[in-house]
Amino acid sequence: MHKLIKATKPALVKQVVSKPGKVAIHKLPTGVRGLDDIVGGGIPEFSFNIIAGSPGCGKTTLAHQIVFANATPEKPALYFTVLGEPALKMLRYQQQYTFFDESRLGKDIHFIHLSDVVLEQDVQAVLAEIINQVTATRPGIVVVDSFRTLVRKASSDVGEVETQSFVHRLAQFLTSWEATTFLVGEYVEEEIRDNALFTMVDGIFWLSQVAERNSVLRKLQIMKLRGQASVPGLHTVRISDGGVQTFSRSLGSMGNSMKPAQRRLLSSGVAELDKMLGGGIREGDSLLVAGPSGTGKSALATQFIAEGLRQGEPGIMAIFEERPEGYTQRAGTFGLHLKEAHRKGMLEILYLRPLDLSVDETLEEILNSIQKIDAKRLVIDSLVGFEMALAPGFRADFRESLYRMIGALTGAGITILSTVEVEDTFTGLPFSHYAISFLTDDIIRLRYVEIDGQLRKVMVVVKMRRGNHSKDIREYVITDKGVVVIHPRRTDYHGLTTGIPHRTGPRKAQENEVAPEPKATK
Amino acid sequence: MRNLAKRLMAYETGGNKSSETQNPVAFHCCEKLRPRLATLMGDAGFRALLSRALANAECPSLRAVHVKADGSLEGLGDLHAQLGPTEFFEARVVLLAQLLGSLVAFIGEDLTLHLVREVWPNIPIDDFDFGEESKYAQTN
Repeated sequence: MHKLIKATKPALVKQVVSKPGKVAIHKLPTGVRGLDDIVGGGIPEFSFNIIAGSPGCGKTTLAHQIVFANATPEKPALYFTVLGEPALKMLRYQQQYTFFDESRLGKDIHFIHLSDVVLEQDVQAVLAEIINQVTATRPGIVVVDSFRTLVRKASSDVGEVETQSFVHRLAQFLTSWEATTFLVGEYVEEEIRDNALFTMVDGIFWLSQVAERNSVLRKLQIMKLRGQASVPGLHTVRISDGGVQTFSRSLGSMGNSMKPAQRRLLSSGVAELDKMLGGGIREGDSLLVAGPSGTGKSALATQFIAEGLRQGEPGIMAIFEERPEGYTQRAGTFGLHLKEAHRKGMLEILYLRPLDLSVDETLEEILNSIQKIDAKRLVIDSLVGFEMALAPGFRADFRESLYRMIGALTGAGITILSTVEVEDTFTGLPFSHYAISFLTDDIIRLRYVEIDGQLRKVMVVVKMRRGNHSKDIREYVITDKGVVVIHPRRTDYHGLTTGIPHRTGPRKAQENEVAPEPKATK
Repeated sequence: MRNLAKRLMAYETGGNKSSETQNPVAFHCCEKLRPRLATLMGDAGFRALLSRALANAECPSLRAVHVKADGSLEGLGDLHAQLGPTEFFEARVVLLAQLLGSLVAFIGEDLTLHLVREVWPNIPIDDFDFGEESKYAQTN
């Protein structure tokens, strides 16, 4: 009986997909961060797979990661290179990745260059050589890279039928020898229809890369995986020093549902606003703060986090527009010392602005930080900045992605405050450009109004999904304490939501009034 | 690289430069490296690597040596007849050092030493330091 292979880095996913009494299909770790989840727990042992895609999308690196994650001296990996890159050249580049460990070469990982056999002999000789090597080594993992070039050569030499026969015998032999096989090849999607290979294989790992304006997006799709359910759709792929990393598009719906049954009301950090909110923000809610530039959205967000810190609730600030230094410095002017909280491990400030992010990567960053400090509150400041940080190709799906992300985070019991910049019009009161109100449980709208020859600020709670809230429009100022709600609701004006209200009552005699909002100073 | 080449050559000749005169045509170090490298880069790849090492070896006497189709060297017998044991030994050290140098340039020091260890598991080279060698080379 085949002994389950112990992985060196990621823990072997020793799960059984079948019911008792049926064959147990063990799952091998991929060695690729995020991919085990996408393929439903791991790669089915003894499966015959193809890793396909265009040049440069990470096929060979993915194969190497699988090899390094699974090879052992007892069940080594055989990596056959054919006509494409010789193994030596492959090693030159692959050794740059952190997963590469040269001490394992020749022991549990064997590279064999088959080009001479392919060029000087025929496909039968190639099969014979593979059989010889497999019989001698008894590998757990076999990779043939590039299988496409091998098949193309075979087709031109011996024709289609003989080539299919070769593929069939290869599959049969490797499966019989209990090897999990990966054929690596440069294919285009149109080839799937007419190529019997894709019917024959158990799994198809399809990698692609698309240039969108100045960004390049890499994607992975599990087109087929016999024996277990994988996550459908296109998943973002990133190649970095650690090799290929994948970001499941369903990560959002896979978040652990930890939302407590009895949800507390959390303070926003502004006492008067809490009253307007009917007592506070319900734990696990998503709150949107919408308003034009300068109305104090970030200040409110900072107060929300700072209040959490005061209550012993760790927080995450995902900021996309302002640098962390500027953010913490401004918070300091409100008497909120974020650096100290960060030092104590209560606060993570994520500055995400590389301009080619996917939402899935952002979500991964945020989820990692949440796990790291057991965060209870999250600020996303702002959604506009977030959208700008995404690669252009991801912006089209921004709303859908946001929906998954907010669903995942609130599902995990996190209370989210997102800010969005909206342009004040003088005819209506838009909440955002995105029509995203359906994503949020609660909405606070900030806006400028002209009163008595001054441009002042008002706020109103527009929506509270699970509770009653004040309908008052309240004036507020930004002082050295942050956002401070001042006057009770104005009954002497109407049309405040237009920004140009009309006085309804008698004008009070007034002195030369100083602006109610002294600039916040340290 | 010369030190490593010398160490390998000394191992193959048992430390006696004149003791291998019975079969001077064979360049044992090269022959031992050939199958391991051919597995990784094919026969043609090995031939190309060895040809380049020959071309770059700063040793006029090696100009008469050629790489055959099977990756072995041709002309070593004549070279042995022309040179004394020390010079013959030295010529092959130069060639081997070039070959190892090409490998280091291509796959790095760690992987080159790893391959050398695979071929000569009994030669202690864990202490080998390319950095020390290059310092030595600069001062000599």
